[in-house]
Amino acid sequence: MSKVLIAGIGNVLLGDDGVGPFAIKMLESQFDFPESVELADLGTPGLDLPVHLSGADAVILLDSAKFGGQAGDIRLFRKQEVLKIPPRARIDPHSPALRESLSFLELMGAIPGELLMIGIQGSQFDAGATLSTPVRHCIPHIIDAVRRELHRLNVWCAPKESVTPPGTWWDSLRPKAASKALWR
Amino acid sequence: MTSRITIDPISRIEGHLRIDAEVDGGRVSKAWASCTMWRGIENILIGRDPREAWLFAQRFCGVCTTVHALASVRAVEDALKLPIPPNAQYIRNLILIHHALHDHIVHFYHLSALDWIDVMEIPKANPSMTASLAQSLSSWTRNSPQEFKSAQDKVKALAAGGQLGIFANGYWGHPAMHLPPEISLLGFTHYLQALEFQRKSNQIVGILGGKTPHIQNLTVGGVANAIDLDSLGTLTMDRLEMIRSLIDEVIPFVHEAYFPDVCAIAGMYPEWFDIGTGAKNYLAVPDLPTDASASQFDLPGGVILSGNLAAATKFETAADPDFRRAITEDSTRAWYKGGSLHPWKGQTVPEYTDFQEKGKYTWVKAPRYAGRPMEVGPLANILVGYAQGHQLTRKWTDLALGRISSVAKRNVTVDQLQSTMGRYVARAIRSAMLADLAVKHCELLTNNILSGDVATHNPPQFPKGEIEGVGTHEAPRGTLSHWVVVKDGKLANYQAVVPTTWNASPRDSQGNVGPYEASLMRNPVADPERPLELLRTVHSFDPCMACACHTFDPNGQKIASVKVL
Repeated sequence: MSKVLIAGIGNVLLGDDGVGPFAIKMLESQFDFPESVELADLGTPGLDLPVHLSGADAVILLDSAKFGGQAGDIRLFRKQEVLKIPPRARIDPHSPALRESLSFLELMGAIPGELLMIGIQGSQFDAGATLSTPVRHCIPHIIDAVRRELHRLNVWCAPKESVTPPGTWWDSLRPKAASKALWR
Repeated sequence: MTSRITIDPISRIEGHLRIDAEVDGGRVSKAWASCTMWRGIENILIGRDPREAWLFAQRFCGVCTTVHALASVRAVEDALKLPIPPNAQYIRNLILIHHALHDHIVHFYHLSALDWIDVMEIPKANPSMTASLAQSLSSWTRNSPQEFKSAQDKVKALAAGGQLGIFANGYWGHPAMHLPPEISLLGFTHYLQALEFQRKSNQIVGILGGKTPHIQNLTVGGVANAIDLDSLGTLTMDRLEMIRSLIDEVIPFVHEAYFPDVCAIAGMYPEWFDIGTGAKNYLAVPDLPTDASASQFDLPGGVILSGNLAAATKFETAADPDFRRAITEDSTRAWYKGGSLHPWKGQTVPEYTDFQEKGKYTWVKAPRYAGRPMEVGPLANILVGYAQGHQLTRKWTDLALGRISSVAKRNVTVDQLQSTMGRYVARAIRSAMLADLAVKHCELLTNNILSGDVATHNPPQFPKGEIEGVGTHEAPRGTLSHWVVVKDGKLANYQAVVPTTWNASPRDSQGNVGPYEASLMRNPVADPERPLELLRTVHSFDPCMACACHTFDPNGQKIASVKVL
């Protein structure tokens, strides 16, 4: 059976940046998957990303993104679309690594056959904040997008008979940031 | 003519480091290192349970997760004066060794090799000649003409298609690039092979840590790994053997590909041993403790001032009294309130101005040791060890210097490692040492378990009142220290002084420049529009601003902009 990686990317301590890992924990708590599916909270791996992506036949990435939408909007990017982005432009805070990682794996001949990146527009990335309300509200839509992709890949995923508590230990952070982030 | 170069961002990962340099007559005359995002993530820890701090600390940086986790539990253990069982030391050591090996391999091949290798020269190489050259350098089993030809074909295919993909950003054809095509092909082929060995190194971290990139097995007082040689799901003899066989696969890549590649490339660029000298003060902490109370270490620590190796001093413990006393963080030129404070008294209160050359210009504070800027990282590591006559350091350093000198046809000395190229060489030396130590610590763990000791954890007890602790770790980028104040069992203060803060530190109240800034002085710049030489020097430190501050880039920018003054 082909190997599927569903990975959340982002920093859980920086507000909406952590939406990917958060959604992974929700998926884990609500659904059962076949053994060929791996769920991973990859944090912000930068150029370590190829190590995690290589070996998978299909990858579904969940990441905060900046594409000019409203907070909580979701946009889907396919592999070819990510590869077409000119170097140095970013579709999200970590996209240089995503784009570089995919190009590198392409060069190696080890690029996953299928890749879907589910980008979620964030609105606040302050240190010590949890997810903003609009982003929190879009989690069910992210989960739907993952399930649709799995269906397309002919991989089952079934709601658990009893939902386990999600492992989002960091969600005890303040709803508002400890301090306002500033950047130039 | 004077021109001003601004490079932003510089680290090809998620960096928000900005370098400004004034170039006068082809050389840098002034430099500023600035970090463009606020760092105050430690504030979220105040008021929390010290036993869970490491989980949060592990998320300070996505690339160096384990190092922050480790420094955090060590800080709390130091405050409690809590020893940890030998098994816990060895398991932690194996994790940190393999994290570091993984990180150094990524740094050399994926972050910096293409600063020296001109990919567009690779099609000109002769794969058979490359193979004979490679076979004369080492006994690496994957140095066949077929391996080299297949790597070369990948570049040819990209070049023929006109889509350079991952290489679209390089400074190809730059006058400062001058490797023979065969050495370029050699390095590039190992660049492709490196992924496999990063993965294996990472697997070891995963087996011991439960997961990667975020390990699950740490706890204040030891590790959470259950050891039972007869039970599945714990650390069994099978798993130890699996780890050993992975180590046996990773070591040859480090010793026979990475180390010889760096020596060969360094020997072809000997002029870079005269460029990029930094602060000339070096700091390293001892690491890889070999006993429960951490009184003996496999990696030495100490201090070198003004580049004087003969007068190096030694740290006897991981948090030496001198180390505890001598560190301050100076906010004079950083966007924070406050002057110069000890980390236990440290504050992180922002005071943003704009980029002001003569005022505040960065979000990185200036850590100082007895008032001095210090370089940390593999170079500090190697120099401190060499100066103390540390055997393993001497063995690999002398081997590297011998090989480099013979390629360069000139004598390269240990003092000349205080340079841009010296930092690359030091990182390769450190990796070679760590590969030796991986075997040792795997054996220490196995033998200790076989002797009947299965303890992994000493439970912590938090007293009433206030206690202070510091946890140190000699991380891939250098000395990391986490400083905690615990009051009635809760965190009252938490400060992380990270390696990149030392190296990327700004000027201080005395006007002393930081190590990046010092190392850029007098750097040649052949073409201000393509400041490859500055990238080489800054990359030599392996910048990782992700822990000094986190990623956020509102818009994509080109790498460098130049303004004629």
